[in-house]
Amino acid sequence: MSQSKDDSIVQSIDLTAYDKEFLHLSGSVQPHGILFALKEPQLEIIQVSDNTFELLGFQPQELLNKSLKDFLTAQELLFIEGCLLKDFESVNPIKLSLNNSAKVKNFDGILHRCDNILILELEPKLTQEERDFIRFYHFVKGAIAKMQNASTLSELCQNITQEVQKLTGFDRVMIYQFDGKQAGKVVAEEKREDLPSYLGLHYPASDIPEQAKKLYTLNHLRLIPDINSQPKQLIPPYNSITNKPLDLSYAVLRSVSPCHLEYLKNMGVTASMSISLNKDKKLWGLIACHHYSPKYVSYEVRTACEFLGQVMSLELTNKEENEKLDYKIKLKTIQSKFIETMPSTENFMDGLVKDKTDLLSLVDAQGVAICNNGDFSLAGNTPNKSDLHDLLEWVEAKIDNDIFYTDCLSKIYPTAEKFKHVGSGLIVLSISQMQKNYVLWFRPEMIQTVNWGGNPQQSVVVEQDGRLSPRKSFELWQETVRSQSLPWKPREIDAVLELRSAIVSIVLRKADELARINIELARSNNELDAFAYIASHDLKEPLRGIHNYSNFLIEDYAEILNAEGVSKLQTLVRLTQRMEDLINSLLHFSRLGRVELSVQQTDLNELVSNVIDVLSISLKESHVEIHIPRPLPAIYCDKVQVSEVFSNLITNAIKYNDKATKKVEIGFLDGNHSKKELPTVFYVKDSGIGIKEKYFDAIFRIFKRLHTVHKYGGGTGAGLTIAKKIVERHNGEIWVESTYGKGSTFYFTLQGKGG
Amino acid sequence: MAGSTQPLLVIEDSDEDFAAFERILRKASISNVVYRCVDGDDALDFLRHNGQYQDSTKAPRPGIILLDLNLPGTDGREVLEQIKQDSELKMIPVVVFTTSSNPKDIEICYQCGVNGYILKPIDVKKLMRTVQVLIDYWFEAVILPNSVRG
Repeated sequence: MSQSKDDSIVQSIDLTAYDKEFLHLSGSVQPHGILFALKEPQLEIIQVSDNTFELLGFQPQELLNKSLKDFLTAQELLFIEGCLLKDFESVNPIKLSLNNSAKVKNFDGILHRCDNILILELEPKLTQEERDFIRFYHFVKGAIAKMQNASTLSELCQNITQEVQKLTGFDRVMIYQFDGKQAGKVVAEEKREDLPSYLGLHYPASDIPEQAKKLYTLNHLRLIPDINSQPKQLIPPYNSITNKPLDLSYAVLRSVSPCHLEYLKNMGVTASMSISLNKDKKLWGLIACHHYSPKYVSYEVRTACEFLGQVMSLELTNKEENEKLDYKIKLKTIQSKFIETMPSTENFMDGLVKDKTDLLSLVDAQGVAICNNGDFSLAGNTPNKSDLHDLLEWVEAKIDNDIFYTDCLSKIYPTAEKFKHVGSGLIVLSISQMQKNYVLWFRPEMIQTVNWGGNPQQSVVVEQDGRLSPRKSFELWQETVRSQSLPWKPREIDAVLELRSAIVSIVLRKADELARINIELARSNNELDAFAYIASHDLKEPLRGIHNYSNFLIEDYAEILNAEGVSKLQTLVRLTQRMEDLINSLLHFSRLGRVELSVQQTDLNELVSNVIDVLSISLKESHVEIHIPRPLPAIYCDKVQVSEVFSNLITNAIKYNDKATKKVEIGFLDGNHSKKELPTVFYVKDSGIGIKEKYFDAIFRIFKRLHTVHKYGGGTGAGLTIAKKIVERHNGEIWVESTYGKGSTFYFTLQGKGG
Repeated sequence: MAGSTQPLLVIEDSDEDFAAFERILRKASISNVVYRCVDGDDALDFLRHNGQYQDSTKAPRPGIILLDLNLPGTDGREVLEQIKQDSELKMIPVVVFTTSSNPKDIEICYQCGVNGYILKPIDVKKLMRTVQVLIDYWFEAVILPNSVRG
């Protein structure tokens, strides 16, 4: 490139320098057209491109400071002056034939103003054929119909590449789409069959500098017919009105930046055209056209392409809205499914576990882990459980407003580097921190999911030393996205939060229900309690009457009655006592489950020795040997109730014993279990009569007795049932092992899981 | 002995229980006059000289009240409350004598200011012992409020 010394343009391909380049102040144009800067109203030529001689036959100096009027026919002048009052969009291009004595040339004239300077660009008409507006109209109409019929965004992209290719004949037409971080990827492509495919290629944000992106938003179409042509300087370089280089932001002839030239060269491209695709006034992407030989596209065709680009921009909004709507419908479907299944599950988290596939598709994740009270349930590709536990521990503090998300976890949590292939992206939704209920979604490293639409090794044939080539760009892009996942879309984050609200409302509803049930339960418990007392009271009163009157009969009429009569009355008295015992046991048992446990640290040695003291008073058994092989531990339990368990078991051990010396052993087993935190197993062992195996379960049923009332001191049959109930209320278990005739051992635990 | 001659008011709906009680008193040679009311309303009338008890000589102020809790009509708990809220009557010791072992009842009675709570045993020997202890305590060991007159 030839550059004048005082030219301020930095001819460097350093990308950061490129970002700083004033592309719009390049001071030169592409050589296939002429640019005039005009001072209104007299249309004085104050700047002109240095190619007027080749295209018009005038030297630039002959034109400067003259009025354009001198070179136009009266009709053309009238037309232009009419145009100056209108919107240029609607008048471009103006057909002009600037004539000098030597030749007459037909031009397409393109007018625009910038900084109050009128800029007229002339592109020679290369063909003499009259443009047929109707032909274009039909063409564009067909293209638009196809675009509107596309049902998805990717179909729309594919359609427009086909239409633009048909219209222009470029060797390759692609759609570039920018992501949130301004990196790009090729999402659609229409090409000559023999060319390698760029579909699925990614390139870093730096490939298209900010400056260039800005110009793309200002000027929707950019044509470079031949990258090997020499740009033509504007003469003079400074504009006399603004005293600055001319702003060429909107000029169609603006020369190409060296960086862009290098890019095209490295791809082997000779001519290119790009059409901006905007959405919500932001650059969404580009329709990029490449040709491997010089290629000029007439202004009309360009206008048609630009028009298609604008229609596409509108359609983009539609299609994305449609997709949003589809997503919303999908989201609602998924949510309503959860809402249906959740209330029917015991624990609402189970409802989530049931529908893991839906959970994955909710946010387009590849893995999901549902944490319920610290237990993980997994689906898809996730880190392993021990990594998950560590991750959760780290992330809990980071959760803000119930959510935490990142698309580059290892950047903030270096440990994640080892599972980046499954977990570079993470969303953590906290449903209840108290209960440790979380949902974690994972996305793999982006590179794992990139689709090259073919073998990357062969897809890019043109390889240059320069770093701006598809292959190099892709490598560079790969570097920039190491350990990163595809970014989470705002709507996905919203969906997750919405899911949470849905869950919370279900949980709250369930909590309400539960509260209602609890109130109901409390009421019926109170009634039951009252009932038990009233029933026992009302039963006891007549019983007492029978008892007393029988006694009075014995006292008052013993001399009248014979021995048999007295003995019958005595039986009557005994039966009333028995009846009272039964009523008391039943009352006691019915109340057991409703008394609050009063759990405290309890020394079992003290507890058991108290029990034995009480028993020895009432039993007065001289031949009982109670043996406690080693001190018992201290545990958390309800003192009163556990005393009752020991008391019942020790009483039975002594009662159901026909040996001369009744041996009772009280102890606990060594916890030689592989599993940790198993509760201690206590036992009460006797040398008694034993229990047949078929009764091992039956003995714990209320009022189930194995012996007649007359044998073994005849209890009510409630003792073991009460013991079992107490043990169960302590989250424990009770069971018996026995050899009939040799003795029994009752085992029980008092602290079950979480007890 | 200080209060040994004061009458005893027994509020008891069960005829059999009352008969047994009287018999035990007889056997124990306890000579205090025993008045009986069969329900709560009856008892409150007796204590306040209302209804059939206008004549205060027929319804003297008892030295001690034995109260069964489960009464038809006005329930024993209510009777206790009324007595203990009445500035005149609240000095009379009230001993609940009932079958109800409900901890709630025990708690409510003591909150109302009951002076004792005794469970009626079924066993006649136990019953005799209990009544004996009750009488010994209240009519022998204890000085009752209106026994010391200025």
